[in-house]
Amino acid sequence: MNENKSVTGDTGAQNGHRPRHVAGSIALALVSVSGVAMVLSPLHDRISTTTAALSLMLVVIVVAAQRGLAPALAASLAGMLAFNFFFLPPVRTFTIADPENWVALVAFLVTSAIVGQLFSLAKRRAEEAVDRQREIQGLYADLQEAFDRAARAEAERQAERMRNALLDAVTHELRTPLTGIKVSVTALLGDYADSRGDEANLSGEDRREMLSVIDEEADRLNRYIGNLVDLARIEAGRLPIKRSWNAPGEIAADSVERVRVRRSGRAIHLATAADTPTIFADGRALAEALFLLLDNAVKYSPSNAAIHLSVYAAAGGAVEFAVEDEGPGIAPELRERVFERFFRVENSGPESVVGTGMGLPIARGIVEGHGGTLRIEDRPGASGTRIVLRVPVGDDDPAESSMRDSASLESA
Amino acid sequence: MERRQRILVVDDEPQITRVLRVGLNGRGFDVRTAADGESALDTFSDWSPDLVVTDLSMPGDVDGIELCRRLRKRSQVPIIVLSVRDDERTKVAALDEGADDYVTKPFSMDELLARVRAALRRGPAPAVEPHGVLEAGVFRVDFEARAVSVRGEAVRLTPKEFELLAYLIRHAGKVLTHRTLLTAVWGGNYGEQVEYLRVFVGHIRKKIEPEPGTPRYLLTEPWTGYRFEPGE
Repeated sequence: MNENKSVTGDTGAQNGHRPRHVAGSIALALVSVSGVAMVLSPLHDRISTTTAALSLMLVVIVVAAQRGLAPALAASLAGMLAFNFFFLPPVRTFTIADPENWVALVAFLVTSAIVGQLFSLAKRRAEEAVDRQREIQGLYADLQEAFDRAARAEAERQAERMRNALLDAVTHELRTPLTGIKVSVTALLGDYADSRGDEANLSGEDRREMLSVIDEEADRLNRYIGNLVDLARIEAGRLPIKRSWNAPGEIAADSVERVRVRRSGRAIHLATAADTPTIFADGRALAEALFLLLDNAVKYSPSNAAIHLSVYAAAGGAVEFAVEDEGPGIAPELRERVFERFFRVENSGPESVVGTGMGLPIARGIVEGHGGTLRIEDRPGASGTRIVLRVPVGDDDPAESSMRDSASLESA
Repeated sequence: MERRQRILVVDDEPQITRVLRVGLNGRGFDVRTAADGESALDTFSDWSPDLVVTDLSMPGDVDGIELCRRLRKRSQVPIIVLSVRDDERTKVAALDEGADDYVTKPFSMDELLARVRAALRRGPAPAVEPHGVLEAGVFRVDFEARAVSVRGEAVRLTPKEFELLAYLIRHAGKVLTHRTLLTAVWGGNYGEQVEYLRVFVGHIRKKIEPEPGTPRYLLTEPWTGYRFEPGE
């Protein structure tokens, strides 16, 4: 034991633990064997030597299975001695009268040693299997973590790519009108400086052209910034929606008028069904959403083609506004993507199309703010795009009106 | 009366072509515009402009870089590239494909006019191998003797320094990318060895610049390459 202790002290708990553990097991094995032998020995003339041998063998097996090889061998040896002493005649001596019993004794020893070894082997295998399982579980956890890390890194890379694409789009949309303004202003300034030396080189018409570009590009910048703000509000879920009772036909007419102001010369056919109910909605916001849809239709269809806007009551207590154009249509696989911010279908329109990729996302944001939907369909029986804006008729929501009441109470 | 010089302006943004048409017209240039690369190539064939000013990002199969590539296959016309991008790679790619200069949007009319005048002064690059003597600004290159002098004063150069400086002087006023210079002087395998180039440029500056720290002739185009201004 002293030796064990010194080993423990030198090489740490794990190494030192094992011999002590084994010594304890051997002691336990010896106690078990002698216990069973003691219990059975008073009955030695009533039970057969086979029963006694099997009982002792059982102890060896249990020890082997529980404690391993060394205790099992100790138990075998002790079992053999006990078998000889207590059960082989003449009992209570280590002498053996009948030579046949020598065979029994040796057979007992060999059998119990082999059985002990087998069981201890089985035990070790089981332990190893548990260890391996633990190891595999550890590996699996490591692998899982590695996969998770890789997936996270990929997601971050994608987000980064997305951010860069957005930044590129915004940069392009802001710098292009700025360039028009900057070039015009510097050309006018240069001309002004020259004109003081009587060398003016821009005609009155030229100057007017440059000033109108400045005017238009300033408006374009302002619209773009307005769109950015709308989009940011929609994404933050803070688009203000001021509901009241509106006639859908009036909303549609307002949106058509907005298109006429911005893009003269395009025929938009508006048809409102007579039975269309009034809706509880933010009329100005819906008109803006419809304007964005119509503007898209104008931009992405031939300049001589007609555009249709029809308004009608739909099943399920809703009103639908359907915008149809005779353009190239939108491929089914892109019908969801066009609602992503800054997404633009490549080469989809005539040369001069200037899109920002914000119209449809804003329109959808407004419509969803009303609990409605925007969907893209094929035009029935014709080429082109059909976009349907659907909003529920709505109701003077009691929860909302009570909130309004409490708000007015607070302000009072 | 002398023919007005012709400039082809290519941009998919109508507002840009509008103002450039008016601005350049006002300065005595004859201007035509195109909204994409394909129609620019058509106009180029029909009209033979003296200079092309083109945007880089355009719709269709022929963007600005592709336009440079295709124009270079048939002509040495000077090309100025307009770009909204800060992306140096796009700019460098355009220069590598044959653009002579670039202007980043937004730019002032004065800046563009200065670049236009410089490009037109330079004219189409000489395609033939240099020989004899080339005088540019205060520089004089004797290709036979492989000697360079500044204001009549001989400059002592190593053979590689001579090749680099002679190449820069031959292409004076044009933006030359790192890759162009490395390939021209050291060969195709050295296209990425920008450090190499920096060392040689540093040496040459010490020999030709009155103040090597603030160069007057051998100018750095940040992240892109170098430009040689031969002086008065």
